[in-house]
Amino acid sequence: MAEIRLERLRKEYGKTLAVNDITIKFPTSAVTCLLGPSGCGKTTLMRIIAGLEAPTSGEVYFDDVRVTDKTPQQRNIGMVFQYPVVYKGISVYHNLELPLIEDKLPEAERRKRIDDVAQILGLEHMLNKNVSSLDNATRQKVAVGRAVARQPQIILFDEPITNVDPNSRVQLKTALKRLSKQHNQTIIYVTHDQTEAMTLADEIALMKDGVIVQRDNPRSLYNYPNDVFGGWFLGNPGMNFVEYEVNGQSELGGPLFTRPIRFNNLNRDKHISVGIRPEHILVSPQPSAGAVRGQLTRKSIVVGGQYLLFIQIEGKMLKAKVPTSVGQAVAQEVWVECPLERVTLFGEQGTKIETELIPAQPVA
Amino acid sequence: MKNPRRVLYNIALWAVAIFFFSPIAWIALASFKTKNGILATPPQLIFAPTLDNYADFFTRPNVGQYFLNSILLSVAAVLLAILVSFLASYCFSRFQPKATGFLMFLLLSIRMVPAAASVVPVFLMYTAFGWKDNWLGIMLFYAMFSIPFSVWILKGFIDGVSQRYDETALVNGGSRLHVLFKVVLPQVRPGLIAAFIFNFIFVWNEFLINFIIGGKTTTTIPTALIIGVSNNQGMDWTFVATLTTIYILPPIIAIYFFQKYLLVGMTFGTVRGEV
Repeated sequence: MAEIRLERLRKEYGKTLAVNDITIKFPTSAVTCLLGPSGCGKTTLMRIIAGLEAPTSGEVYFDDVRVTDKTPQQRNIGMVFQYPVVYKGISVYHNLELPLIEDKLPEAERRKRIDDVAQILGLEHMLNKNVSSLDNATRQKVAVGRAVARQPQIILFDEPITNVDPNSRVQLKTALKRLSKQHNQTIIYVTHDQTEAMTLADEIALMKDGVIVQRDNPRSLYNYPNDVFGGWFLGNPGMNFVEYEVNGQSELGGPLFTRPIRFNNLNRDKHISVGIRPEHILVSPQPSAGAVRGQLTRKSIVVGGQYLLFIQIEGKMLKAKVPTSVGQAVAQEVWVECPLERVTLFGEQGTKIETELIPAQPVA
Repeated sequence: MKNPRRVLYNIALWAVAIFFFSPIAWIALASFKTKNGILATPPQLIFAPTLDNYADFFTRPNVGQYFLNSILLSVAAVLLAILVSFLASYCFSRFQPKATGFLMFLLLSIRMVPAAASVVPVFLMYTAFGWKDNWLGIMLFYAMFSIPFSVWILKGFIDGVSQRYDETALVNGGSRLHVLFKVVLPQVRPGLIAAFIFNFIFVWNEFLINFIIGGKTTTTIPTALIIGVSNNQGMDWTFVATLTTIYILPPIIAIYFFQKYLLVGMTFGTVRGEV
């Protein structure tokens, strides 16, 4: 049980601002993923939480204890890095045991904990092997085991499976999930891989340029990004954005919609972006009510047999992900519908406009 | 198989090796000869070996103490030097204090002047401190003299150990001492051994300083050799030969067993993870 609370945390390296005024709570017994592109400050944030870097300003609390000035050792955490760090020249068992000896645990307890994590990580047959003879994936398992076996309140993972082959990646991910649920630990997991974040996290904190842009459960974050960045960064491919000139008005029309759509233009924005995810666009070879006509310019098969369609509508390019049957059926001329409940509007600053979308009554 | 070029190489190598080994062979053989046999011209290659010199050697006063001094002084001084150097080079490598490069250069500067130049100030210092012929004082001098080179060797090795090791150990509940001795030390063991051997050989062979600031209680073998040489009218060749032969054994054994570490030591840790 340890909630991590960051208050107005800032880290500057010379003129570079790595972490910009972050205030956030990471809840107990949950896996929170820090997701963001490389260089967005997520690793720095993690290192500040671990105590490996001192913040320029701001505070770090574990529960209500201020730990900003405490050493990593005093913080009672575990951490796994991107590159597997194992103590060379000694056995797997001894690698797992070293921190436990440091914690002054009795022999029997050490053995029990090591056997436990070894079993979950699939290391039970190689406990006596010298780590120097192991491949990277196995070494990373050892590193994970070492961090977990101490049963610290907080475990930090810094892209632990980035440098691991795909097969072991699945294994490690499963193991991580099991381990994380065992001891009610607070887990922060840094990654730039959205699939990893989506599958592992209870909550995702999306980071960009040293700021946490949004923090939500994976599904909401994906479906309702509150920033253009979230829409663009998540998804494969990311969200479609279609620019509209509304000049402060509260009505949208073509090219995406057949009839005017009303929304609440609170800030009287002149330009807005209409965002919709490729898989939320409905495509049909036949015309239908509410669908606009488009030209298919390219189609390709993607993972899972789905088709990725590139559709041009009045000079705007839309990407749509459709099921195999639709993908096979469509020819040059297609009809495209953007369901209103799937559409998100973003204002001039790139932030989401909180509004309902209401279709205007068709003129009789 | 019999490549003539190869054979030629081998002959050349053996010739060079034997040429350099011949003085050692001469003195080692001499320790089994009689006094007249040693000085015979032409040198006797075939002779009846005798152990009289060794029997006589152990009846000489103080030989035991010379050996003890040599062994204790070199081992203690070098161990102390290596402990200090290990901590210092860890600090240089990890915390990189301001002007690390310059400090490292300064450290080495004592090795840049010939010993003959530094011996006078050292002598004056030691008499002022009242440390002349003091076992601890001489040990400290040798440790001081061994530190710079050890720091240079060890810093190279510690630089080669990724900081991630330190961080992993620290965040997983280890103290700095745990990092130093449980995590970093095992990985730089070749460097430690290399530094030990290099400095051990230096202290073992050191004569001038021991001659100047040492005395009766701290005489090491090199000094004993010089004193013993001019015993009762003329050279005491049998004593010199016997003492030398026993004296060169420890370094030869050490080098034989740790050859590979000497090589890594000479490359300042740039050949990493190969040992």
